[in-house]
Amino acid sequence: MARWLRLSIVLGVAALVVVLMLSFRRDPHDIRTGTVNKPAAAFTADRLDGTGTLSLSDYAGKVVVLNFFASWCPPCKEENPALVRVWERYRTSDVVFIGIVYEDATDKARAYVSANGVTWPTVRDDDGRIAFAYGVFGPPETYFIGPDGVIAGRRIGAINEATLVASIDKLRAQASR
Amino acid sequence: MTRERALILVALLAIVGAVAWSAWPREVTAAERVDRITSELRCVTCQGLSVKDSPAASARQMRDLVVQRVAEGRTDDEIRGEFRASYGDWVLLSPPASSWTGLIWLVPIVALVAGLAVVLGRVRAVVPRAADPSPRELAALRERVAREEALDLPQADGAG
Repeated sequence: MARWLRLSIVLGVAALVVVLMLSFRRDPHDIRTGTVNKPAAAFTADRLDGTGTLSLSDYAGKVVVLNFFASWCPPCKEENPALVRVWERYRTSDVVFIGIVYEDATDKARAYVSANGVTWPTVRDDDGRIAFAYGVFGPPETYFIGPDGVIAGRRIGAINEATLVASIDKLRAQASR
Repeated sequence: MTRERALILVALLAIVGAVAWSAWPREVTAAERVDRITSELRCVTCQGLSVKDSPAASARQMRDLVVQRVAEGRTDDEIRGEFRASYGDWVLLSPPASSWTGLIWLVPIVALVAGLAVVLGRVRAVVPRAADPSPRELAALRERVAREEALDLPQADGAG
C-alpha cells in the first residue's frame, strides 16, 4: 500500500476520534443551535386560566424563564418542584417565569398547574407557533431570556434547581453591570 | 435501411419531446408546493420522518404553518428559512450544499475517489511489468532478425 494512502487512513481515523471525543464532551441538554444568542421571538398568547392574553413584550427588561411543558410529560413533573422552589425565590425580583403548554388539552393542563403548584403565568400554544419559533423539540424545554431580549441559553429535558439558579443569576449579574 | 433510419429518428424525436414536455415550466398549485416543502422538512418529534409523512401532532402543526405561509405568498425559501432559523439545517431532510453540513455531499465522492485509488494501487501491484530483456536476450533477438532479413522471407500478409 502506498505511503500516502497509509498516511491518509491514519489521519482520517485520528480526525474521526477527535470529532467523537469532542462530541461526547458536549452536554446533550445544552444544544446551542437555532435560536440561542438570537432575539427571543415575540408572542402574544391566551392565558391558560382564561384571564386574557400575555405578551412577551410585557416583560421587556426582565430576566424571563420560558418553560415548555405538558401534563402528559413525566420529565415535566420531575422538574416541577425545582421550578416551584426557584420561582418562590425570585418571584419578587426582576425575574419572570412563563409556562407554555405544549401539545396538551386545556383542561388537562389546567388540572396539572393546579395540582403541581404552578403559580407563574402560563399560556396556551394550541397551534404550536411559539414552540416552532423557539425551536422546541419536545417538553420539557427551558429558555433563558436576558433583559436585552436575547435568548442566552436553553435546556432540553428536565432542569434542576442548580442549573436554574446559575442561569438566572448569570443573567441578573450581566444586567446589573 | 432508410426506413430504419426514419424509425430511429422518430424514436429520438419522441424521447426529446417527452423530456421537453416534462421539463416545461408549468403552474404549480398551492397544494403541490405544500407537499413539496413538507416532504423536505423533518418532523421535529419523530425519528427520520418528513412532516408530510408523519402522523404526529407537531408535524400536523408544522404542515398547517406551511399552508398558511404559502397562502400568504411566501416563497419556498422563505418558508424553509423560517424553520431553519429555529432548528438549523437539521430540520431539512437533505442538508443544503451551500452550508457547512453540505460537506456531507462530498463524502461519497471522496469515498469513491479513495476506493478507486486503492483499486488502482492493487491492480498496479498485481499486474507484473514486462521485464526489459537482458543484453544476452537482446543480442539473440537482433541476430534472429538479421538472419530472417538475410533470408528475405515473404511478408505474412503477402504484401511483399
